[in-house]
Amino acid sequence: MWINLAWRLFKHEARRGELTVILLAIVLSVASVMSLSLFSERLQSALNERSAQFLAADSVLYSTQKVNPAWLEKAEGMGINTAKQTRLQSMAFSDENMSLVTLRASNDRYPLKGDIRISEQPFAPGEITDTLPNPGEVWIESQLFETLGVELGGFIDVGDARLKVTKVLIELPDGGFSVFAINPRILMRLEDLPSANIQGPGARVWNAHYFTGEKDVIESYYEWLEPQLENDIHEWSSVDDAESGIGNSVARAEQFFLLASLLAIVLASVAIAVAAQRYSQRHYDPVAIFKTLGASKSLVQKVYLLQVLFVTLLGIFIGCVIGFVIQQVVVWAIADQVPVAVQAWFWGPVWIAIFTGLVCAVLFSVYPLMRLFSVPPLRVLRKDLGAQLSSKSLQFLASAVGIFSLMWVYSGNLKMSFILFGSGVLLVAALLVVTFGLIALGRRLGQGRMGPWQLAWARIKRRAMDNSVQLISFAVTIMLLLIVLVMRNDMIQQWKDQLPEGTPNYFMINISHDQAPEIQKSFEDNGLTLEQFYPVVRGRFVAVNGERVRTSVAKNDEDEQAQRDGLGREANLTWSLELQYQNEIVEGEWLTTWQEGEPAPVSVEKEAAKRMDINMGDVLTFNIGSEVVDVTVTSIREVNWQTLQPNFFFVLHPKAMENYIPTYITSFNVPVSMKPEVPRIMAPFGTVSLIDVDSRIERVREVIDQVSLAVEFILVLVLVAGALVLIAQVQASMDERQQELAILRTLGAKGHIIRASVVFEFIILGMVAGFMAALANEVTLYFLQTELFQMKVSFHYEYWVIAPLVGAAVVGVLGALSCWRLLSLNTTKLLRQMV
Amino acid sequence: MTDSPKVMISAQNVTKTVETSEGPLAILQPISFDVKQAESVAIVGASGSGKSTLLSLLAGLDEVSSGEIYLNNEALHAMDEEQRARVRGEHVGFIFQSFMLVQSLTAIENVMLPAEIAGLDNPRQLAEELMHKVGLDHRVTHYPNQLSGGEQQRVAIARAFITQPAILFADEPTGNLDSVNGEKIQSLLFELNKTSSTTLVLVTHDNLLARRCQRQLRMQAGELTDITNDSDDSNVEQLRVV
Repeated sequence: MWINLAWRLFKHEARRGELTVILLAIVLSVASVMSLSLFSERLQSALNERSAQFLAADSVLYSTQKVNPAWLEKAEGMGINTAKQTRLQSMAFSDENMSLVTLRASNDRYPLKGDIRISEQPFAPGEITDTLPNPGEVWIESQLFETLGVELGGFIDVGDARLKVTKVLIELPDGGFSVFAINPRILMRLEDLPSANIQGPGARVWNAHYFTGEKDVIESYYEWLEPQLENDIHEWSSVDDAESGIGNSVARAEQFFLLASLLAIVLASVAIAVAAQRYSQRHYDPVAIFKTLGASKSLVQKVYLLQVLFVTLLGIFIGCVIGFVIQQVVVWAIADQVPVAVQAWFWGPVWIAIFTGLVCAVLFSVYPLMRLFSVPPLRVLRKDLGAQLSSKSLQFLASAVGIFSLMWVYSGNLKMSFILFGSGVLLVAALLVVTFGLIALGRRLGQGRMGPWQLAWARIKRRAMDNSVQLISFAVTIMLLLIVLVMRNDMIQQWKDQLPEGTPNYFMINISHDQAPEIQKSFEDNGLTLEQFYPVVRGRFVAVNGERVRTSVAKNDEDEQAQRDGLGREANLTWSLELQYQNEIVEGEWLTTWQEGEPAPVSVEKEAAKRMDINMGDVLTFNIGSEVVDVTVTSIREVNWQTLQPNFFFVLHPKAMENYIPTYITSFNVPVSMKPEVPRIMAPFGTVSLIDVDSRIERVREVIDQVSLAVEFILVLVLVAGALVLIAQVQASMDERQQELAILRTLGAKGHIIRASVVFEFIILGMVAGFMAALANEVTLYFLQTELFQMKVSFHYEYWVIAPLVGAAVVGVLGALSCWRLLSLNTTKLLRQMV
Repeated sequence: MTDSPKVMISAQNVTKTVETSEGPLAILQPISFDVKQAESVAIVGASGSGKSTLLSLLAGLDEVSSGEIYLNNEALHAMDEEQRARVRGEHVGFIFQSFMLVQSLTAIENVMLPAEIAGLDNPRQLAEELMHKVGLDHRVTHYPNQLSGGEQQRVAIARAFITQPAILFADEPTGNLDSVNGEKIQSLLFELNKTSSTTLVLVTHDNLLARRCQRQLRMQAGELTDITNDSDDSNVEQLRVV
């Protein structure tokens, strides 16, 4: 019977639009979560694919020793594709010359992902190839043609093997970003390696095993493998922890998506809470009637819970469909610019959306429903009797627990949840104080002749508690929108800053002291500008406070320095009194404060210091040639490695290094049109190594552009969600004002006075909410940026003005629109609507 | 000797006191009276005299502060809200001044409602019959806000009778209606009351309506007086003045 009744009520109420608001709120929450998470899954999968290309696989196992063949068999057995590459440093000889090189000896499956670029000309942009050198052949990097004096078709000797140079190697997918990829690379076949006979004891060998396959299969393989790995021999690297510039940008973007989705959930929760409260209030009479007619409490509960369940299920269904359509439209629209995995389908977002819809609907309608169930039957005789249950603290507690657990469950990130939740709580507390302040103020301002302002203040005063709830929901909504907006601006700006136009796309290293002025002149003659020359002296870092450190070379010597466990090799020491671009002193003071007589100072990069356990005041010992140099750590620097600029772990004071003859490193930007000129300009300086990082910069830029575009989309989505929530809130509160408007109207108040008073009321609410939101936004952003996004903290004073103004304008306009709708009804209709 | 009719409602020393900011306020002084089966009783009195409060207590919508109320021999005063709801569902029908129809149910569904709550077998059929009796066959699928006041009250009457309640409480049943519709509703109410032998207790300002009842009780300042045999019309006059 009750199912029937619930169904009938649901049907009729749906038809009559009674359920529209709550249904919309659920649809909104489900649709935004669905579209956001499905989109970000697809984008992430595409970006992961992109990251995988930089790794040449989904995951790579690096090892300084031969790995157990059973490990690879196991991988193959699980359906994982594998490839192998052995890297080692060796000498390469031509008939005329020799050079230290890094050999990359690969089996025919390499690379599993990404592309190799080759060309027929040194320093050319190159073309993608899906082949490898044939056995007996090698591809060598541009500068080796100069250094070794070979040409295509010529031969070089590596160990005992004589190999034919058949192509210029322009780029390897896992070439890394390090400027100090000092040795030119040679790509050869793995099967040629034994004949070279260079893998003797003491050789610096580095085996890379590449893996690709389904994400979960790789993960379970790693779970199996991990316990068997040894820290000092093996290193597992996968797309998720890629620390390249791209990895970082992607990780930050992912955090942003997560944040945006979380905020969308909170927005939706607010919308549902508002809608549920309204729904509950509108059903006081029916519940009183049911009870009067003999319905037991449990019957009433069943009927209404079932009804809410029907609404929820319908909302979830519509939300899923709309969410899917929204993200599909966006995916189609931006498919050309952003590598979204259009084909990929993920169930995760669907479950998350359904779960969110259910949890939101249940958690945020519990209290309003409990209140509804407590309506006494006596209300049929005494309309003034409302819900008997009133516990604001219970309501706040239920909402708080609800929102926090949703945040936590959804993000899996306790810190982010705490930051957002904490600032939310602060905001609510502050708003309560402000509301009561306003009431006190209103008491004074609201006196005197009844103009629209007085009416507005009087209403604010009288509806203090309702208004505080409204103020809170307006402010939370505005704050969430601000957070997303500002985060997006800051993030995109900081990404762009890291690679401004004119970022050097070539590095020059091994410039001798005498060559430096000549090169400078040669470039000037050709209309090119060189960046700063950094002196470099190589030194071996041997001791901290007299205690020897491990100096053996343990790991890959050519990839990103920031990834190393320990330095384990010669350090590039530089000296300068000028802090480099995007370097920041985080501890101590920069070298310029050093004074004669004090121990020689050094500034150490933060991550390196952390890894090698170097602290302020430690004395570091370097062996430079046969000399021993002691320097004292006087500052720790944070370096933005993503700028693709020359950067150093150790920067010394020029005074300490005046006795050493350095080589120099510099960089320059060449427009694409002038690139063919570069070999000619460089021709006289054969010993100088030139590194082209253009393609790497381009790739980072491309990803940044794509991620930025995706971030824009998310922003728009959250803004739309926020706007809908605001509309819902204004609508809901307008309902509550209806009665009063009807009475004022009946008593002959002029339409424009009523309208103006309502608009003023909303303007006041919007302004206060906007201002509070701007304040709370700063606090939240501070924690988000410092604790989570590892970004520079930024303050946004402009929003302190913009937010109240926009808040007042938007809320005011929405209020005016809703009010206009109400006032366009005639008084009788208005009164009848209230029944 | 014939059996005297059964007592359907019995109130013994019923009081109602509410807490106000200025201390307890007695709304009802100790009140005692009985209403017999099929009897019709009007409670009249000025606004605020406590008549609606009395009705709410008799109908089990509210709890007494002290005293005893028996409804069809069930001790309402000793019951909790759930038990009272059962008693209301089994024995009581209601008609209100503001009709109190569920806005989101159609006319016939409103009529069916008590039958459904009571778990009767064929609520729709019963409802259709009653809709016919109250002359609203053509309005069954209309929603309350599509009906006139008189029509809404007829729906409410149909709803009140669907479970064939032993007792019917009516609170100002014609209070929101014009005289023509008010008259129609009165006739319908008494006709149904008669044919179903229902005990009728109604609260009203309308002396004509009150006089159609077999007994009239007057509430004044929380006290109840039987004015049925009071031929002097001054009481009624007073009511008219109020």
